[in-house]
Amino acid sequence: MIWLGDLLHKNPGWWLGVALFLMFGLAVQVGAVPVQANDWLVVLKIFEGSAPGDTAQAFSAGSHVLFNLRLPRVLLAVLVGASLGLSGALTQSLFRNPLAEPGLLGVSAGAACAAALTIVMFAEISLTVIAPVRTWLLPLAAFAGALAVCFALEHMARWIAPGSVAALLLTGIAMNALAGAVIGLCTFLADDEQLRSLSFWTLGSVAGAQWMWVGLFAGLLGIGYYRLRRTMQSLNALALGEAAARQIGVNVPGLRKQIIVWVALLAGLAVAFCGMISFVGLIAPHLVRLWVGPDQRQVLPLAMLLGGLLLLVADTLARVVAVPAEIPVGIFTALVGGPFFFLLVRQSRVQVG
Amino acid sequence: MSTQPSAALLQMNDVFLSLGSVCAESQVSKSFTLRVSPGERLAILGPSGAGKTTLLRLLALDLSPLRGEVLFKGRAQQSWPAAKLSHHRAVMPQNCQVAFGLAVNLVIALGRVARISDPFVSDIVFDAACLARADHLLSRRCDTLSGGEYARVHLARVFAQLWDTKDGLILVDEPLATLDLGLQENILQALDAFATERHHAIVAVLHDVNHALRAFDRLLLIKESQLYADVASNKQAVPLFESLYGLPLECLRTADNVLVVSPRSNFSRAG
Repeated sequence: MIWLGDLLHKNPGWWLGVALFLMFGLAVQVGAVPVQANDWLVVLKIFEGSAPGDTAQAFSAGSHVLFNLRLPRVLLAVLVGASLGLSGALTQSLFRNPLAEPGLLGVSAGAACAAALTIVMFAEISLTVIAPVRTWLLPLAAFAGALAVCFALEHMARWIAPGSVAALLLTGIAMNALAGAVIGLCTFLADDEQLRSLSFWTLGSVAGAQWMWVGLFAGLLGIGYYRLRRTMQSLNALALGEAAARQIGVNVPGLRKQIIVWVALLAGLAVAFCGMISFVGLIAPHLVRLWVGPDQRQVLPLAMLLGGLLLLVADTLARVVAVPAEIPVGIFTALVGGPFFFLLVRQSRVQVG
Repeated sequence: MSTQPSAALLQMNDVFLSLGSVCAESQVSKSFTLRVSPGERLAILGPSGAGKTTLLRLLALDLSPLRGEVLFKGRAQQSWPAAKLSHHRAVMPQNCQVAFGLAVNLVIALGRVARISDPFVSDIVFDAACLARADHLLSRRCDTLSGGEYARVHLARVFAQLWDTKDGLILVDEPLATLDLGLQENILQALDAFATERHHAIVAVLHDVNHALRAFDRLLLIKESQLYADVASNKQAVPLFESLYGLPLECLRTADNVLVVSPRSNFSRAG
């Protein structure tokens, strides 16, 4: 067993990749509708472009489920999980606090607030919005909310006490309270139908996945990782504190702004498309740190992989635990993640003290 | 600026040491004008709360002065790009907690984070750790270190940062305060050897008058946020110490003719 532990420590990325691949295969197979090898052939042909997807005869029930529902959903779960894991790791290094997460900044709440306003207000005004815009309206509003919170956060934190992380944190708490109040007001104003759509969206789910979202998240993650790859050692320097990081030559305000924008993009868009999914952004970096240590150059990519794996497992379980019904994955991650996280904190306390 | 054609490494013009919320302008405080030459050793001494650390933080630009300017190599410190400045100037703060329990070798390597390509980083980290007597700590996590070990790791980080440059500046805040007697001696020598070899200047906040007298050229005495005296480090400074600390002092000479200052007091255990 020692050689196994040794292998786990030497190639954590490789192991996570294998686990993710296996879990991917499993997740695509299981569910209310069984998938046969034949269905895979149809889907493969669609990808090759030889079989036209619009001829209804080419689609069996299984291949329809596979191509239009399950594959995008599974891929989106991985990508959103990876986004949450990455944004969680970024937030933690920004605040020098292993218990921080994007929710702490008020980013998720800001996105939720903007979406709730959209659901309630647009019904009130009864604006006629053209159909293609309507599908994107809610995600766009949520993303705008997240971005607004991030910029307000950066601006207000500077205004309160220049360069102080504590000020940023306190402002984040204020943001959370403010957004919570607006969401509460929207809940109060909403009629029954709106309330239903509000709560469904607040619970968090990757059920409505579309190929376009998958492409969007894949692109976002790719660009994000490429841009952040070079700043990882500077992120390590942030662990020394902002003053010390500046003394060793890190452009701290620029780095901070870059991290904040990426957290807004990753976490905000995750909330925009899938609602509030908690604990993945908190647990993934934490577990990675327990596994390989606190070096950000390893934590960032591994937290991405592990975040993807965690959300995929959670979503698959949420799908199959109560077939044919499914539990919203946001509830599932919170239910499983909360106690698990308590255990983690307790364990790390025991090890240190 | 134009009055000093010979290059000062660090020049502080007309800066007030304002502490807390007290407005410096309303006080009858004098502004600071300070000049550090390349390779010089300057010790900042004074009673607790006199503003030593504030002065060092102003020099390091952790605090920006309300008035006046701080020039490094003839150029306003604010206008230096952070990365470029870090190649020439290192700062060791009084207490610097490392989050997440990073490994010691990683923390020392962070001293070189601003270098774009740095092929010999692992050698430099090891040599710097040896010089700071921290080489046995390299594989430890920072959150398992004692105060004295911590100070040595940060000193090694400072060494690594200025390892391959010349005519730089090291700002240190009480580097010896948490160390035992033997290590104080070792670290003082290491700091001196490191700076001499590379012609770096050192500006240090110190508590121990004897360290200042032995290893530094110039003493800057601070009292109540004001410059009390700026004197050469020799026997003539001792009367100033007496009034600075409000304590009668005695000058002694060791067998090697090293000047040692000790409080003149009747307080002593019999024997």
